[in-house]
Amino acid sequence: MRKGLVQVTDGKERLGHWVLAISCLCLCVTGLGMMFHSFNFLGTLVGGLANLKMIHNYVGLIFTISLLVMIRMWWREAGVFVFPEDMDWIKAAGGYLWHVDKVPETGKYNPGQKAFFLVVAIFGALMVVSGLIMWFPSVFPVGLVRWMYPLHALGFVVIFAFFFVHLYLGTIGNPGSVQAMTTGWMEKPVLKMLHPKWFKEMEEKGEFIEYGVEPKPKETGHH
Amino acid sequence: MTNHYCDLKNADVILIMGSNAAEHHPIAFKWILRAKEKGATIIHVDPRYTRTSARCDFHVPLRSGTDIAFLGGMINFILEKDKYFKDYVLNYTNASFIVGEDFSFNDGLFSGYDAQKRKYDKATWVLEKDGNGIPKRDMTLSNPRSVFQMLKKHYSRYTLDKVSSITGVSKENLLKVYEIYSSTGVPDKAGTECYALGWTHHTVGSQNIRTMAIIQLLLGNMGIAGGGINALRGEPNVQGSTDHCILYGNLPGYLKAPSASLDSLDHYLEKYTPVSKDPQSANYYQNYPKFFVSFLKALWDDKATKENGFGYHWLPKMDDGKHYSTMHMVDAMYKGKVKGYFCVGADTAVSTPNSNKVRKAMENLDWLVGENIFNNETYEFWRGPGVDPKKIKTECFLLPAAATMEKEGSQSNSGRWVQWKYKAADAPGDGLPVGEIEIKIMAAVKKLYEKEGGPNAEAIVNLKWDYLDKQGHYDVIKVAKQINGVFLEDTVIEDKAKGTKTEFKKGQLVPTFGNLQADGKTACGNWIISGSYTADGINKMASRGKEDPTGLGLFPNWAFAWPVNRRIIYNRASCDVNGKPYNPKRKLLEWTGEKWVGDVPDGPWPPMADKEKGKYPFIMKTDGVGALFGPGMVDGPFSEHYEPFEGPLAKNPMSSQLINPAAEIFNSDMDKLERASEKFPYVCTTYSCTEHWCTGALTRWQAWLLEMQPELYVEISEQLAKEKGIQNGARVKVSSVRGEAPCVAMVTKRFKPFTVEGKTVHQVGMPFNYGWLFPEDGSGGDSTNMLTPTAGCANTFCPEYKAFMVNVEKA
Amino acid sequence: MNNKPELVKLIDTTLCTACRGCQVACKQWNEMPGLRTRQRGTYQNPEDLQWNTWTLIRFQEYEAKDGKFQWIFRKDGCMHCTDAACVKVCPSGALHYTPLKTVGLDRNKCIGCKECVAACPFHIPRYNASTDKVYKCDLCYTRLTEGLPPACVKSCPTGALTIGEKNKMIKKAYARVKQLGGDANVYGDKFVDGTHVIYVLQYKPEVYDELPVKPSVPLSVVIWKDLLKPLSLLGAGGVVAGSFVHYMLHGPKAPPPEGTNEAGKTEGGE
Repeated sequence: MRKGLVQVTDGKERLGHWVLAISCLCLCVTGLGMMFHSFNFLGTLVGGLANLKMIHNYVGLIFTISLLVMIRMWWREAGVFVFPEDMDWIKAAGGYLWHVDKVPETGKYNPGQKAFFLVVAIFGALMVVSGLIMWFPSVFPVGLVRWMYPLHALGFVVIFAFFFVHLYLGTIGNPGSVQAMTTGWMEKPVLKMLHPKWFKEMEEKGEFIEYGVEPKPKETGHH
Repeated sequence: MTNHYCDLKNADVILIMGSNAAEHHPIAFKWILRAKEKGATIIHVDPRYTRTSARCDFHVPLRSGTDIAFLGGMINFILEKDKYFKDYVLNYTNASFIVGEDFSFNDGLFSGYDAQKRKYDKATWVLEKDGNGIPKRDMTLSNPRSVFQMLKKHYSRYTLDKVSSITGVSKENLLKVYEIYSSTGVPDKAGTECYALGWTHHTVGSQNIRTMAIIQLLLGNMGIAGGGINALRGEPNVQGSTDHCILYGNLPGYLKAPSASLDSLDHYLEKYTPVSKDPQSANYYQNYPKFFVSFLKALWDDKATKENGFGYHWLPKMDDGKHYSTMHMVDAMYKGKVKGYFCVGADTAVSTPNSNKVRKAMENLDWLVGENIFNNETYEFWRGPGVDPKKIKTECFLLPAAATMEKEGSQSNSGRWVQWKYKAADAPGDGLPVGEIEIKIMAAVKKLYEKEGGPNAEAIVNLKWDYLDKQGHYDVIKVAKQINGVFLEDTVIEDKAKGTKTEFKKGQLVPTFGNLQADGKTACGNWIISGSYTADGINKMASRGKEDPTGLGLFPNWAFAWPVNRRIIYNRASCDVNGKPYNPKRKLLEWTGEKWVGDVPDGPWPPMADKEKGKYPFIMKTDGVGALFGPGMVDGPFSEHYEPFEGPLAKNPMSSQLINPAAEIFNSDMDKLERASEKFPYVCTTYSCTEHWCTGALTRWQAWLLEMQPELYVEISEQLAKEKGIQNGARVKVSSVRGEAPCVAMVTKRFKPFTVEGKTVHQVGMPFNYGWLFPEDGSGGDSTNMLTPTAGCANTFCPEYKAFMVNVEKA
Repeated sequence: MNNKPELVKLIDTTLCTACRGCQVACKQWNEMPGLRTRQRGTYQNPEDLQWNTWTLIRFQEYEAKDGKFQWIFRKDGCMHCTDAACVKVCPSGALHYTPLKTVGLDRNKCIGCKECVAACPFHIPRYNASTDKVYKCDLCYTRLTEGLPPACVKSCPTGALTIGEKNKMIKKAYARVKQLGGDANVYGDKFVDGTHVIYVLQYKPEVYDELPVKPSVPLSVVIWKDLLKPLSLLGAGGVVAGSFVHYMLHGPKAPPPEGTNEAGKTEGGE
């Protein structure tokens, strides 16, 4: 911690994010152990494939709760597309695929991040529902149960793809971003580059929480 | 069975009536399927469509208790349409004999009936003899007093309309069965009949079978491969039991138990040794004294001498005119006349009719001894439903018995095959073979009699009773050998026909009952089993040869078939009078000119065409021929339809005799009957199921079996269910005037209502495999025999479990 | 070396007397218990296949169109498919093809996920919550390897159940069907690449309770296992590789040095 850092996330957001992320990772790994025979060996690390399934199921419950909490926490900011700025950003691929002189400015979260939120929210919910049906199949008609397996697999494919991009862009792809979720504080220049509109808003409203500076009482960015 | 199980495959038509063969003889049923495979037609006549019906060519439902009407109609059909086998009927039956002039039949009664005693004096049921004592014959069969014409007249009353109205069978179905079955009345076709308790469990039970015997004689189906009258005997080794005299009126080998008025050996032998003046009748029972005396010698060994009538006086005698069937025993028990009861391998409280009476009767006992593999309702009667143990003074013992696979010995199947089997494991705990229990108890009783004396003490004290081995256990080999028979002194047997003399040493086993002596030289526990050992001591019951030289499934070297390993009895009737097989394609026997080849022949004598040395084929009948006119029965030389003791009709459509006039009526206050009543309007029959064994006393403890058939149910038609508003699986109450049986309703298409005498009569059915003791919560249900009446066959007292009246209501 | 012939079990329903010796023999051999049941108005008990009931005789009262009545008995149980949906979906490999081409079930490996329960076109595998495992007939594999017939076949008194070399049994079935005539047909040899348990049926398959008319590996299983799974590997690999390539080619997005704006121009002071 030092001067010049700005708080971008509070403790609740970070805790929530990591519970969700770690449970999601755990689910992916345990799920992989059951999806491919070549990954069955993962079961031996926890004393048997049956234990792997048990871990998958119960971590899934943790995932479910944290997903609900995080959706509630972020849906306004990260789940609603704002036009035309979001579309302009998309047309420029956010400056990530080819060189763009000036990346269109978007709000606190750019469409890429919003897309990731929506994918996790929707497909995560799909995983939860399909997972629950797979856990208690006898309660449901067999025709319904049968389609839960390919859907669950599909959900994994989509979530994994988006997750990996999120991981890449949240770490080495955008140096200086990962701190947003670890310490919660970011360098002002990085913040300005990545989220110029939000930066301006906070500057105008005097909402920066700068390290070492007494914060004025204000509304926080989330509810 | 006159034939045997494997022989069923040789039939062209198989009538399964009075039997649910596939369910209760599932292994034997494969032989019926083999016949079907070869093109045989299999017919199932049964009130209910069962698992047997599913595998037959067609099923014909009939009201239970009307088999004689059905079969009577068939006799009428056969005689009217000339379907009988003329050569056979003429030569091998008493069709040509002349019935005595005083014999008559009128309005349901034969001559000689005493209405007070409900008994027939059979003096008029005779066949006329000539001056030489030989039965008169009319070989043209036209004499109106000939058996043939009397038979025709008697059964001409069983018209299609009458039979259809009584049985509830459509005329179409009647004709279908009659046509197909009577097609076997030709030399190259064989028809066989399989029956079981569906026929015997009636007050006219024996006559049901008699009627079929008449049909089989008319069609020439007795004594041939694929023919015969085939009783499918019961699961608990019923064949072995009856062979070894479990029935009260028998001694081993179906010898007759004596009544008190037969006060000497000579009087007894005179009564039971038939005499025939016809030189061509083998009349094999003329050898009766040999079998009987040998039996007495087997009991009392050297204590039985010529001087003391071989111990005849020591044999317990029945009171004249009295009967000692299970129902009589329960009746006596109910009236307080029976102090103690040995209940061995049985569950009387569930299996005997009128369970309420039975259970009440048992309360009068001073002591009860059970010998069984498991506990059951009978042994626990003192704490049954509605019983206050504090009021019961009976001392109860339960001796654990070894199960069938826990002991070595013989088992006899319906086909008279006596098969030796070995012990697979020890009985658990203190369990002993029942044989050993009986021997040890009797040995102790013998000691007491030796010390204290008592009535008829000599009978017990003089018993040869050394059947334990050196370790003090039941010596089954010793018993088997005694049953087979042994020479008590050096004996020379002369065979006049062959001109041979054979010497037997003292202690040697008797190789055939033909060698038994009436002078005390031989001992034989059971003459029909004689020959199960060779003279050299080889146990034929243990042989397992799979050779089948005739291809007919006789398997002559597999086990021992009584008598003398004859596989099909009366087999000389499979050939014509010259000894040539009627059907060369199914050669059971053939006379070569010097001897018979094929099955063990019914005696070595030449065929009857040889007037000098030849004999008639039915060698166990006094006259040597099959009896169409059969005076041996107590209720008539011909059969007649009588309604069940408790039936739906107030009047018998055939005559004024509603019920069997010779069947005993029990009259205790618990022996109620309610006929043609609106309160109990449905005909009920009872049966078992494949999954349970009789009362379920053995099988309800087996989780795998109980899982499949967990509790008591009543099978009712969809029509009756609709009428009473009963859903499938709902709890109902079945009741008769004697008791109630709560159970589950099984609504099925396999029962359909009958039209009897113009009215709709519903038929229902229940298994009898459940009792209150187990499952412990009573959820299995209790005895179906709460419903059944104390009524039984006039000849055998086999109870009428298969036709009585009930009501079925939602619980 | 493994020259064991491919075996097929034939169930000839026209010879079955529903004695249920097979139902009990199976339990005895596999040490499965009999559980307490109730009478529901039918001989069929237990009412369905269960974790402890691997073969069940189904009773059906059938009135044919010509009015003729037939009590139908059908022995239900695993069909041992050549293309077995259950093997396809089993995550642990508990369900597997044996060297005899039957479908075996190694209960030690079973994790109780119940995917096979949904996947089976014949609705055979049954789950037990207290052991958390699935159960089904394994055609008495341990008996077959010793040259013994399955327990059910051994117990059958009428020859309704027989087992033998595949082509021989199929031939036998067709000969029997020809002998029976009418609607009699062979069921099983044409589905899921052929089953190792086939029937001789007296009536068309649609008549029979709980018997699928045209069974096949469910579409959902095909899409999942034959499509999605390989695609997922492609997808995952693609994303990882793509990110790597992106980093190499496009590089990270780093903020401009202090004092310059994004375009690299020096920022003016505020």
